[in-house]
Amino acid sequence: MNSHNASMSGSRLFAAYLGDIRFELVKMLRTPMFAVPTLLFPLMFFVLFGVVMGSARGNGQQSLYAFASFGVLGAMAPGLFGFGVSLAFEREQGMLLFRQAIPMPPGSYLLARMVMAMIFVALSSLALIAMGLLLAHMPLTPGQCAAFLAINVFGVMPFCALGMWVGTLVSGQAAPAIINLVYIPMSFLAGLFIPMEVLPAGLRQIAPLWPAHHLLQLSRAEMGLTSMGSPETHVGALLGVTVLFFSLAMRRLGGRGIRLFGGAGARPGIGLPLRRAVNIGVFWIGVGLVIAGITGNNAPRAATKAAATSNDAGGSVPDASGSSAPVGVAAPDQPVIADFDAGGATASYGLGFSASDDKMRGGDSSAAQKVVEGALEVSGQVGTAIQYPFAGTSFLPNGAPGIDWARQGFMDYSRRQTLSFRARGDGREYMVMMMGPALDTIPAMYNFVAGPDWQQVRVPLKDMASIDLQRVKLISFGTMAPGAFRFQIDDVRVE
Amino acid sequence: MGAPASLARLDGAHKNFGKIAALDGLNLEIHRGELLALVGPNGAGKSTAISLLLGLQRPDRGAAVLFGEDPQSIDARRRIGVMMQEINLSPVMRPREFITQTASYYPSPYDTPAVIKRLGIEKIADRPYGKLSGGQKRQAQFGMAICGRPELLFLDEPTVGLDVQSRGALWQVVRDLLHEGCSIILTTHYLEEAEALADRVAVIDRGKLVAAGTVEEIRANVSRKSIVCRTSLSIETMRAWPGVQQVSEKAGRRQIVTQDAETVLRLLLGADSGVSDIEVRAAGLGDALAELTRDDAPGSLQ
Repeated sequence: MNSHNASMSGSRLFAAYLGDIRFELVKMLRTPMFAVPTLLFPLMFFVLFGVVMGSARGNGQQSLYAFASFGVLGAMAPGLFGFGVSLAFEREQGMLLFRQAIPMPPGSYLLARMVMAMIFVALSSLALIAMGLLLAHMPLTPGQCAAFLAINVFGVMPFCALGMWVGTLVSGQAAPAIINLVYIPMSFLAGLFIPMEVLPAGLRQIAPLWPAHHLLQLSRAEMGLTSMGSPETHVGALLGVTVLFFSLAMRRLGGRGIRLFGGAGARPGIGLPLRRAVNIGVFWIGVGLVIAGITGNNAPRAATKAAATSNDAGGSVPDASGSSAPVGVAAPDQPVIADFDAGGATASYGLGFSASDDKMRGGDSSAAQKVVEGALEVSGQVGTAIQYPFAGTSFLPNGAPGIDWARQGFMDYSRRQTLSFRARGDGREYMVMMMGPALDTIPAMYNFVAGPDWQQVRVPLKDMASIDLQRVKLISFGTMAPGAFRFQIDDVRVE
Repeated sequence: MGAPASLARLDGAHKNFGKIAALDGLNLEIHRGELLALVGPNGAGKSTAISLLLGLQRPDRGAAVLFGEDPQSIDARRRIGVMMQEINLSPVMRPREFITQTASYYPSPYDTPAVIKRLGIEKIADRPYGKLSGGQKRQAQFGMAICGRPELLFLDEPTVGLDVQSRGALWQVVRDLLHEGCSIILTTHYLEEAEALADRVAVIDRGKLVAAGTVEEIRANVSRKSIVCRTSLSIETMRAWPGVQQVSEKAGRRQIVTQDAETVLRLLLGADSGVSDIEVRAAGLGDALAELTRDDAPGSLQ
């Protein structure tokens, strides 16, 4: 009786960890408030946007974009809700303290929850893959399927950390509402439901703040779609968010005497300064990674046309970020690019304005231009064949006739402040786009309305800084909104 | 290497919450094989004492020791079972699942079916926790507390919400566990629970131990008695007598509370020849507690 052996055998300990995972999984599967939105919403949205609307437009690209987007959506919910809402409830209801009084194995609480969230993500990703293959008939390679699964399953971690932190701050009653306030706006701002291009420039520029943005860009790059930034930056930012919010959450719980890792808490002694140094170090590493992710390379990346043969990706993919391309020639001192007063669409430097559309990218939009009363008039029709249609007029500031796009030169506008022009038209909204090295990328955009009267438009170039202003290849005026359009521009300047 | 006689103890434990001293140098010790009942008014520091012994809080000064170790050590915690007061378990899980999960944390637990049978909760074992009554929830939590074959069991108000029958059943299991060598520390509001089960009672007030001993010892420590009678004497007259602590009138009967019943009786019989229906009552544990934890109570009787 007196010789009590309090040590656990390895296999019993392993069984305890496993049992906690199973318990957590069963618990969440029995909670419809959690399981239904987590598992069903991504599928529902994919069927709507990827299968029904995608095939209505006869467009595989659309399905693939929806596939990537709703995979990310499926990774957000289990982390945010699984950690946030239940942590808030259990903290409030004394469960966290109770678990600390009983000999739950160290870290098992967190591990069980994280694995539970990962299993939920895996289920929704696998269901998306099945639907993508069977319903949307997407040409996914086994490699792409595996990458999709892995990105989403590991992508749940920053959302677990974020949810956990929220769960330490708010009450159980408030948690679902607060988590939704994170979840829904972030899905929109990261471009899961609507193309980022539709958002105002300010919101587009802060996109790297959202972990969902980084995850989406990673997933898109892996699917061979247009994406922004480099994978290293995204992985770094996601790791940073995970580490930062996890350490914030642990600090907050620790302040209330809750130790999710079990074991003895900090006690005065030799270990304390070291422990404190590690805590502070981890916190700042997280902050550093997040900042690197936010400020890091966010230049558009071309779609890798190697999507169908993604196995040999690598050497053949051009350096889409263009960061290693030579800087463009400095912009000439003279501010005026074109006033169209000479009767032609020529510019004072570069390759003059020419009507442009999306046919090169597989679209069905059309555009025509002519000079009318000393202004350039552009008209045509924007189609719906591709995800990002476009029609309008384009100007290559350092372009030369007769060579292909890839070899057209860059212009360095980094020392200029403003692009200005006058515009009038049919009252629709138009955009100015500036594009860097690669054609099939997300350009910098600025929206303006062309009304019946001439109107001066001034575009601050700092708003266009989502592309590298040292390497501007193209400036376009036009629209992505389907339908017929007509507008005029005049007196285009960069100063 | 004999096991220490005390399984858990607090040595001069101080704990402040802001300016309020929840524990003010509390000494407490649980011996092997005994049931120690922790009693005292609300806010006396019982829960804080338990929290310290469980390692959920740290003493500001003094020490908390569990099986000779830091209470936060997992090896120490593998030897205890815990039933806490204010917890809500997941409403979608079932008592059988909770007990199985908790048992998996211990080196040599009881089988889940054996625990369920022992508590007689077969009927509710597979019902969602959220659909159980308050008393049934306490039974499930009791199952989680005992399933790990603990050497020391912490029971915080275990019978709140139980009907008389279920309470009796739980008491029986507690007595059986004691027979099997399990030690138990119990906090309770029901003094009859302490009187029925406890080998030893520790009375805590304002963060200090004011008395400890068997139920009889605690009672004996308290000399307070109450005298009830019918008399024509005025309340004021009686209040002026030496040794009288309280005088009140209830349903035509006078009640006098005193520590010196003999003197008061002599005075009463001398002053009122018509006095009738005299009754002298000894203090119950409740009276003892009331006296021990009175605002002007003397310090520790220990």
